[in-house]
This record gives sequence, structure tokens and C-alpha cells, in this order.
Amino acid sequence: MRVQHISKHIHHKPILADIDFSVEPGSIIGIVGRNGSGKTTLLRSLAGILTPTRGSVYIDGIDIFKHPEIKKQIIFVPDSTEALKNYSTKELIYLYKNIYPEFDTSYLFSLMKRFKLSQISKIGNYSKGQKALFTLITAFATGASYILLDEPTDGLDVIVKKQVLQLLVEEVSDRRLAVLISSHRLDELEFMVNEVIFIKQGKVDSHYELDTMKNQYKKIQLAFAEKMPEALENEIEILDKTGKVYTVLIPRGNSLLEEKISDSRPLFYEELPMSLEDYFVAKLGGPDDV
Amino acid sequence: MMFNKALWFQNYKQSKFLIWILLALFVVQMPLQAILSVESWQERSERTAYSEEYVYEVQAWDIMQIFSQGMFTVFLAAAIVIFASLLIGLERNTRRSDFTFSLPYSRSSLFLAKWALGSTAVGVFFIMNFLPAYFIIYQSEFREALSLVSSIEIFWAPLLGYIFFFSFSLLVGSITGEMVSQIVLTFIFGFLPIIIFTLIQEFMQVHDFFLFHIGSQPRWIEYATPFFYAAGSMGSLPGVIAAVVFTAVCLWGGTVLYTKNNLEYNGEFLMFKKLNPVFVVLLTVMISFFGGMIVSSLAPWGADALRILSYWIGFTTFMLFALLIIRRLIKMNIIFSGRAV
Repeated sequence: MRVQHISKHIHHKPILADIDFSVEPGSIIGIVGRNGSGKTTLLRSLAGILTPTRGSVYIDGIDIFKHPEIKKQIIFVPDSTEALKNYSTKELIYLYKNIYPEFDTSYLFSLMKRFKLSQISKIGNYSKGQKALFTLITAFATGASYILLDEPTDGLDVIVKKQVLQLLVEEVSDRRLAVLISSHRLDELEFMVNEVIFIKQGKVDSHYELDTMKNQYKKIQLAFAEKMPEALENEIEILDKTGKVYTVLIPRGNSLLEEKISDSRPLFYEELPMSLEDYFVAKLGGPDDV
Repeated sequence: MMFNKALWFQNYKQSKFLIWILLALFVVQMPLQAILSVESWQERSERTAYSEEYVYEVQAWDIMQIFSQGMFTVFLAAAIVIFASLLIGLERNTRRSDFTFSLPYSRSSLFLAKWALGSTAVGVFFIMNFLPAYFIIYQSEFREALSLVSSIEIFWAPLLGYIFFFSFSLLVGSITGEMVSQIVLTFIFGFLPIIIFTLIQEFMQVHDFFLFHIGSQPRWIEYATPFFYAAGSMGSLPGVIAAVVFTAVCLWGGTVLYTKNNLEYNGEFLMFKKLNPVFVVLLTVMISFFGGMIVSSLAPWGADALRILSYWIGFTTFMLFALLIIRRLIKMNIIFSGRAV
């Protein structure tokens, strides 16, 4: 999938600006951004729901807006099952079989059995967790190559969340699918995604493979006899400060900065493991209201 | 693509309630009304048998009440508007629209599938009920009454009239952002020519200022008023031709506009923001003239100056309210979003 220079204006305000990236089969990509950054608008544009003001989305070089039939390869799973709540499982299977020619009913039933989902006369009667699992399973059963998930674990309990994440990882590795996930839950994404796209004010702020990204920064804990020297404070990203103990983020390989830290004679210096959340705070500014 | 199985099933699921109501209304309008009418004609005819001066005859009007006119046509027109609003408007109010538009179909296919389902339901139900109703009258002693009406009056005009009115409701749905605005604007536009004519006529009468001769309503006003097609007032060849032409225009226009919809405006009054000023002006002017008409009707007929004064008081008051309400309407956003899974 090629997302080519997508821009979207809503009520004359730019919501997305020149978003450009590619998605390769077999990858799980996390779309991360603060509230209102344009994540859902981006996913809805990739599904062909919203028409971009400029740019387009291509699958195998075919424009999804000019040739919507190519969207058989995309399935969008919103954060709500509102659209399907009145269907029975049987009706939904009938509907999907007629939309997606490669819909695999036996695969659907095998996964329903695995997750103890019985056939039901109204999908709206499933519990919240069951609905999440069922929509995910049906999405995989469509045979689509690109699965777009909007906040797939929002409001789920720990057990279901674990099942959802496990299913995602299994399916991607078994079937060379590509999954794009928009989520606030950076801790969950971290164990799942291999690429992260950071959206800031409607633009791609950065797009990295997770490992590359983690190697860009170094998270360290420092303690000073007094407070951190002001000159140093201006140059590094402080993640946390408790008394005289600081947790900071510095670009890896910046020897000049490391020298400055060493010159400031901290009482304590220890490198900590980097998390996606640390990077998020550093890149998108502030842990509040994420 | 108009007859895509998946889209038919999806559209049927979201409107089946109204589809069955529509069938019930057609059953009551035609076969049931035919049975009851034949019974009542028999009773009247028996009563008049004792009178020497009076002979009871079924009139063309009686037959048309069963097939193409009367209060059931109004109920059916209302049901058709709601049917169209379930297919387009309600979809925009809920998250169903995201599901529909993410499917691998062109937007024109989505629109045409809605039209095909609605028109087929209206057409099939109409024919299904027309035939037994016709047979009931045909096998009764009032068979001759059927020769008083033409097939255009009782079959083609109502059938094509309902289909046109449904197509018209879908066309309005292609520019409105949600269900209530679709229903309200379908009714406003459904009567628009006659409303404008009445308002202008009343304005001229109050001010004793005549741009044109006030007489009975010209026939072309009826041809231009979509509601009359559903109410069975177009029982003539030009009326039937107009219904076919207008259906084609609505279908073409609806498909083009639906294709150009920006779904981020779902839930708002109109999908096309450029139309907002046009609607604000049109609705405000109409409501203001209506206000003038209402308030001036309270003044005594002889007091000309008082009538003119009360007309403008009504006009101004209604204009102020219209501006306040319509500005809110334009800014509204109604989305019933089911929360997370």
C-alpha cells in the first residue's frame, strides 16, 4: 500500500498535511499521535471513507478512489460495532461472503471455536470483549491483505486484550498481512508493532522501525548533589524529576552532550531501557492527554 | 452493481422495518379498501333501490380513491420519505456510513443499489396489491365502474409517481447530512413550488399589488411539485412522462451528488457547505413570508392598512426566529456513535 502525499482539510482547517508512506506485507504499523492529531482521519482516508483533499492511496499501483473494487484488499475495523450490531453471525457471514470473494468460513468457525464464540442472533448481544474478538476474526477471514484497526483494544479487559494482541501477531506472521493500528496504548503497541508512524498536527513527524527508533535515543537516570546545571537542562529532554533525581532522554551518539553530562559530575548515572512511551514524550511533547 | 447481492442485503437490513410497513399500507390502500368500498357501494345501491328518484352509480372518483388518491397516498408518501431517510440519512447519523463507504464498491453503485431496492419494493408491492384490488372490483357487480378510469390514472401515474417521489427523496438525501434534515427538506422541496406560489399570491393580495392574475392554481405548478406525483394528481399522459423524466433526473443528480459527498460532514445539516447560504436565505425568506401570511390573516378583512402593517410585523418576527433557528440548524452535528467495542 502506498499512501501518497495525502492532505485533508475539514471546515477549511488542515487535518492531514502531506502524509506519505508505504506499507509492506508482513508488517504491523502503529499510528501514534496525541488526541486530535488526525489518526482516525488518516485511517478513514486509507479505507476510502474520506476523500483526501489532495493525494491518494494506491494498492499494487491502483488508486483506491478511482478503482474502489481494489478495496477488497482492505478492511477497516472501527472502534465501534455499531454498523453490524443488528446482524446475526449467520447474516454477517452471508454479507461478507458476498463482498469478499475469498472469505474463509471454515477459518472463521475455527477461530470462533478457539475463542469460545457461539453463533448468535444479534452481534450486539455479544459482550464488549466478544464483539472485539469477533470483528477482528471476521476481518481476518475476509482474506484482505491490509487490516486497518482503530483503537482495537479500547475498553477491553486484560484477558481479552491479550487474546486480541496474540491473534494479531499470529495472523500477521502466518499470512503475510499488513496491519495498521491507531492506538493510544503505547505499552501494547510496543510488543506488537515493528514500525511506528508518529503523527503530529496532521503531519508525519517521524516514521521508524521500532528497533531503529529505540537506538536513536538513550534513556538515563541522573542524580546531582544540587540541581541539574541549567546549561544542561536546556539541552536534554527531562522525562521525570523526583527531588535531585532526573530521568532524561538524550540522542544516542552525541558525545559532546555526554561529555557535558560527565563534566557536571552527577552522583549517579545509569542507562535505562527505552520504551515507546519515552520516545512519544520526547517527539510529541508531554505525557499529558495522550 | 445496481443489483449487487451484498448491497441489497445490507440495505434491506437497515430498512426492513419500513419495507414491511410500506407493504401493509399498500394492502390497506388497495385490496382492503377495494373490499370495503364494494361492500359500501352495495349497501348504498340497496338503499337507493327503494327510491324512485335516485339511482346509485359508482363514480370515477370512487375508483381513484382506491388506486391513486385519498389519504392513503399521503401515508404512503410519508412512508416513502422515511424509507429513503433510513437508507441514506440514518446511515449518516450513525457509524454505518463508515462501514458502507469502506466496502469495495463505487459510490455510484452504493447509491444505485439503494434506489434499486426502494424502487423494486415500491413497484412490486404496488403491482402485488393492484392486481387483487382490480380483480375484487372486476368480479363485483360494479365492474362497469372500472371503465370510468384509464390505466394511466389508476396504474401508471401512481406507480411511476411513487417511484419518482422515492427517487426525489434519495436526491435530497444526497445533499443532506442526516436523517431529520433529509425528511424536513424532502417535505419542503416536495411542496416548494406550491408553497412559493401561495406565499407570493398572499403577499400580492395583502398589498393589493398584482404581478399576475390570481386565479386557480396553474397546472404547471402541479407538474413542478413532486408531492403531487405521490398523491395521485398526475393521472394524465404528460404527468406520467414528467414522472419518468424527473425520476431519471433525480437518479442522475443523486448519483453525481452522492459520489461527491464529503463524509466528514455526516451528521451536519447539509453535506455541501457551499449550499448553506442558499438554504439560509431560502428558508428565512419562506418562513418570513409565511409569518406575514399568518399574522395578516388575523387582521379584519376590511382594514387594509392594518392588514399590511400586521403582515410586516409577522414577516419581521418570523424572520428573526428563522435566522436564529436556521443558524443553529446549519451548525448542528448529530452523530449517534456507538461506543467502543
